Amino acid sequence: MAVAAESPEHVAGRRKGRRAEGEKGTRTLSVFKASPATYAVLLVVSALFFVPFILMISISLASDQTSAQNAFTVFPTEFEWSNFTDVFTATGLPVGRFVLNSVLIATLSAVGQVLSSSLVGYAFARLRAPGKGVMFMIVLATMMIPAQITMIPQFLLFKELGWVNTYLPLIIPNFFTNAFNVFLVRQFVSRISGELDEAAQMDGLGYFGVYRKIILPMMWPILTAIAIFTLTHAWGDFMGPLIYLNSEESMPLALGLQYMTSTSNAMQLPPWNLVMVGSIILTLPMIAIYYLGQKYLYEMNLQGGSAGVK
Amino acid sequence: MTTTVDEAPGAVRPARRAGRRRPKMSKRRKKEAFFFWLFISPWLIGFVGFLLGPMIASVYISLTEWDSFTPPEWVGLDNYAKALTEDPIFWKALWNTFFYAAISVPLGLVIGVWLANLLNKRVRGRKLFRTFIYLPTLVPLVATAMVFKMVLAPSGPFNDMLGWFGIEGPQWLLSATWIKPALIILSVWGAGAATVLLLSAMNGIPRELYEAAEIDGASAWRQFWAVTFPQITPVIFFNLIMGLIGAFQIFSQVYILAPNNNVGGPDNASQMMVTMLFQEAFSFYHFGYASAVAWLLFLVIMTFTVIAFRTSRKWVFYETEVR
Repeated sequence: MAVAAESPEHVAGRRKGRRAEGEKGTRTLSVFKASPATYAVLLVVSALFFVPFILMISISLASDQTSAQNAFTVFPTEFEWSNFTDVFTATGLPVGRFVLNSVLIATLSAVGQVLSSSLVGYAFARLRAPGKGVMFMIVLATMMIPAQITMIPQFLLFKELGWVNTYLPLIIPNFFTNAFNVFLVRQFVSRISGELDEAAQMDGLGYFGVYRKIILPMMWPILTAIAIFTLTHAWGDFMGPLIYLNSEESMPLALGLQYMTSTSNAMQLPPWNLVMVGSIILTLPMIAIYYLGQKYLYEMNLQGGSAGVK
Repeated sequence: MTTTVDEAPGAVRPARRAGRRRPKMSKRRKKEAFFFWLFISPWLIGFVGFLLGPMIASVYISLTEWDSFTPPEWVGLDNYAKALTEDPIFWKALWNTFFYAAISVPLGLVIGVWLANLLNKRVRGRKLFRTFIYLPTLVPLVATAMVFKMVLAPSGPFNDMLGWFGIEGPQWLLSATWIKPALIILSVWGAGAATVLLLSAMNGIPRELYEAAEIDGASAWRQFWAVTFPQITPVIFFNLIMGLIGAFQIFSQVYILAPNNNVGGPDNASQMMVTMLFQEAFSFYHFGYASAVAWLLFLVIMTFTVIAFRTSRKWVFYETEVR
């Protein structure tokens, strides 16, 4: 799928040099003239898109009383900063542990993807072997299989291995890479000139040496992108933990939040103010990672169509 | 060394391969091949262990009745027949998923194209607007769903706002009529992802095309349809495909938004293919039936992907169609 979508992005990327609407000098063509209506629409839409954020903040700062009565206001009127510490103590759930679990699962998943995809992608880009073409076709074909097909047998397999209620089912598969990341690395390495590794081989460096000493150091832009992509995916994953983790101690934050809203009995409202604090804790690292790694994600967009950020 | 720069990934040079038969591999070649297989072994093991094996198992399980505690019982195609002819919930889930995909994906694209086109003008503060529109896509789905669950509560902020205009808001998540629109609103909040991709595609359109159109006296509306739109169709197509695949697999939002953990929602109005599959497998331990539903889902996704690819020849414009 990413194959078909690859070309447009390339085209867009290659033409970066001559943008349709230059910032300086040239006369503005009529299509590019921004009318007051343009601004009006953009302002309204931006505001609408931002309202949920404001709500998230204002609810996270609401008092328990307001929360219990569901009497929230769109703009914050109360400022209970203590909610940000209460969330770890007052919910009766190990929220600190949730955060730790999320960090652990996300980090190890990213490590696994980076290690495995770089090695496999390198082999597909550089080494020659009979059957390689067929293997690469299989890599591409597997991108089309929806996860739901393998979900049940995988669950039964992990259950058989005694991995249920451990992090292993969420982490270990990442050490075996996935088709999309192999594709990304392979495309990236294909663009690196082969002269350097040829020279290194003349000097007696083996295939692993070339990978480790020559190619790996050059791969870091794409590997950073893969790490970010894996981190955000694992951090926000809900279905995986929902299937495999059912003890409070092992839950990541994404699942823990849902747990927080459902433990209160049906008549009682969830502690919305604390749930929103949790949502903010879940969201902030993603925004931070995005801004730190923006340019690498852009790189990835150019490489494989679009990875999307989610 | 091979320097396969920019080689089309699909084209593995079959012609060359067929035409040339190596009688015997040199020692060096053999070593290289050995390392190739060694290095791809993580993927290969993962492919066999986590994909191919489970896929084959899935086909088998779908032909049995199995709760994973007692031995599986062979039932042939009964599970498929049950889904297609007996189970009203399956059809409801299928319809709901279609409904969701058919509205949320085009709506997201229309909004994306519209916003990208506005942002592509010479707008002051373009970066700021872009950030505001893109920011929601960075919020993890669970957090988004939490906010919307709260916002759309019967006496929640959204209905309060509607109240300012004298509109009495519906019960949203508790109403069989409104839970799907609520899910669609949530999906539209993520339209920023498509917007940013479309905007970067619009940025790449050569200025000369607009200059020519302007000289010919084409209106802004005309220029959009004659110049901008054809040039961004590949990106629209990409977003369409990805959007459809994603929409058919909708799960987390539904699971979180459905009231009181009743995954199907009121009167199964938000029961989707994947939530149903999940329930059948992990709540009821109907692994056989759930696997059959999974394959039917795969079939649905494949059908729509193929249809999209087929029709794409008619409306997607590839300037670089030379290969």
